[in-house]
Amino acid sequence: MLNDFLILMKQELVITIIIFILLFIKIGSKDWKNESLLKLINVLLLLNVVFSFIGNQEGVLFNEMFRTNDLISLEKGILSLGTLIISLSSYSWLQNHKHVAEFYMLLLSTLLGMFLMISGGHLIMFYLGLELSTIPLAAIANFDLDKRKSSEAAFKLIISSAFSSGLLLFGISLVYGTTGTLLFSELAQTLTGTPIQIFAFILLFAGFAFKISVVPFHLWTADVYEGAPVAVTSYLSVISKGAVLFVFVSVLYGAFKPLATTWYNMLFILSVLTIIVGNLFAIRQNNLKRFLAFSSIAQVGFILIGVSGSSQTGTASVIYFILVYIFSNLAAFGVISFISAVTGKETIDDYKALYKTNPFLSWVITIALFSLAGVPPTAGFFGKYFLLMAGTGIAGSKGLIIWIIIAALNLVISFYYYLRVVKAIFMDANETPIQKLSVPFLPKLAMIICVAGIVLTGLFSFIYEYIFSLSNGF
Amino acid sequence: MSASVIIFYCIAAFILLTGIAAVTSRKIFRSAIALLFSLTGIAGLYFWMDVNFIAAVQIIVYVGGIVVLIIFSIFLTQKSGEEMPKPLVSRVLFSLLAVLSGLGLIYRLISEYGFNNISKQPFNVEVSEIGTQMLSTTEHGYVLPFEAVSMLLLAAMIGCIVIALKASPNPSKGEA
Repeated sequence: MLNDFLILMKQELVITIIIFILLFIKIGSKDWKNESLLKLINVLLLLNVVFSFIGNQEGVLFNEMFRTNDLISLEKGILSLGTLIISLSSYSWLQNHKHVAEFYMLLLSTLLGMFLMISGGHLIMFYLGLELSTIPLAAIANFDLDKRKSSEAAFKLIISSAFSSGLLLFGISLVYGTTGTLLFSELAQTLTGTPIQIFAFILLFAGFAFKISVVPFHLWTADVYEGAPVAVTSYLSVISKGAVLFVFVSVLYGAFKPLATTWYNMLFILSVLTIIVGNLFAIRQNNLKRFLAFSSIAQVGFILIGVSGSSQTGTASVIYFILVYIFSNLAAFGVISFISAVTGKETIDDYKALYKTNPFLSWVITIALFSLAGVPPTAGFFGKYFLLMAGTGIAGSKGLIIWIIIAALNLVISFYYYLRVVKAIFMDANETPIQKLSVPFLPKLAMIICVAGIVLTGLFSFIYEYIFSLSNGF
Repeated sequence: MSASVIIFYCIAAFILLTGIAAVTSRKIFRSAIALLFSLTGIAGLYFWMDVNFIAAVQIIVYVGGIVVLIIFSIFLTQKSGEEMPKPLVSRVLFSLLAVLSGLGLIYRLISEYGFNNISKQPFNVEVSEIGTQMLSTTEHGYVLPFEAVSMLLLAAMIGCIVIALKASPNPSKGEA
């Protein structure tokens, strides 16, 4: 029992240990310099990434409340990697912050919550993981302590997540009332699709939709993304969204398999709405953080197409796309985070003629935007391609062609607004461009990892094939 | 209609009426007091169901803890004597509409399902049993959620401390 516990919950335990190391550092009498503390933390996070990729086993603990297998371990590894990249790229911001240890304690608590949520085989564990991954996040959204917008972001995040948790809990209690169980494995057998169960499922779905900001549950997104510190924004838009999507796929394909027609139709309507609204609003944004907020809404719409595939390709394409999305979005956010920490400039107009002064940063953000738009040969193209392929359901042959056509048309629209930023950087004239900035080592490393990820995950097919071999549909 | 059912409807009506008072009162302090009664009514419902421990927890946590917290924060932040502005008529109409359609939907769903096919097996509600299950790792053991909650509380405390420290212009050493 103890051995099983140590091996199967290894990833959670490592994170818990890091949290407690930071706690002891904070309450200890020694005064740490921010630089040395950040270096220590980054080494610990690197160790965490290494640990999460080696020596994973399959198994079930605590009477199915916790389960793990190769796919789940891989998902956790992807999230750990993303957290490391964010930590590296927010170095410039944290260097002058007076609560570095607390920042990481809260950040890692949310990561722990996501791990528990992904591994949870029980709706209670899922719910607790979800709370553990949002409440601390609201606290760190407030970490630009002297900015009002940051407090506003934190407040909006906590209120909207409390509301969505309310819906989710109501849904869970109806599920429990009608089936008498909360275990995913038993739910898959006892759900019959009576109207009350469908209603309960809709409530649960709304809870999910809030977290991944699907239209019409997206209203908090832009304000929170704009107000929160960039490190937190990138974490919200990539890691926490990714984690919820991983769970979403496994819950839909596992516990709510009996309601497949219901959620297929819901996914259709919501994804079309999400793509269109996300795109239209992204066109008119001038603040880059708001711009990326709406672009991430639109991306989620595309991910939902992949989710609807309900086949092995469906699972694999979603995980692969999230991996690619982590690299591309974090590269873009890395550049924005660095420039915002040094100069405080965040609008597209400020970025005009960036290429003249900062060619390296310009190339990083350009490659990232190409990947987000889905221009070959970046990995973003393959990611979107696999998602649409899963959506057409070549294997199951039940895809709606109209859906794919709408998505493809919206891909074209999205080219416009992504390339608008690229045009501003390379072609527009600007009398007061951002001055020449020297990028410190760690943020530069993060950007290089991201760019390498964008290019290589697209070019090496074994990454997708490996994910595909671990995935399962139904 | 047996006495038990009549008592149930009395408690339910009490909860509903105080709940309505909580959302319609224009003085925020009165809303808090009405909420207090509504939560006490829910504790009464638990007593009616013979789950004494849950009822006690409901009173200690919600009535004793949360409502007191709410009242504290009202006193600290609001002018509790002042009346809030009258809501717009259109807003009242639409919220009434939403409430009625919600009621209709839930009523329809529940009456259609009937909840007749749920097994009526007796369940053990002794405090010792609840305590053992809470910390056991075997069948129906809830030790993992329990630990997850403890991490959540730790994180919430750290977050609160950092945000609350914000006001001090020159932070002293050893602040955590």
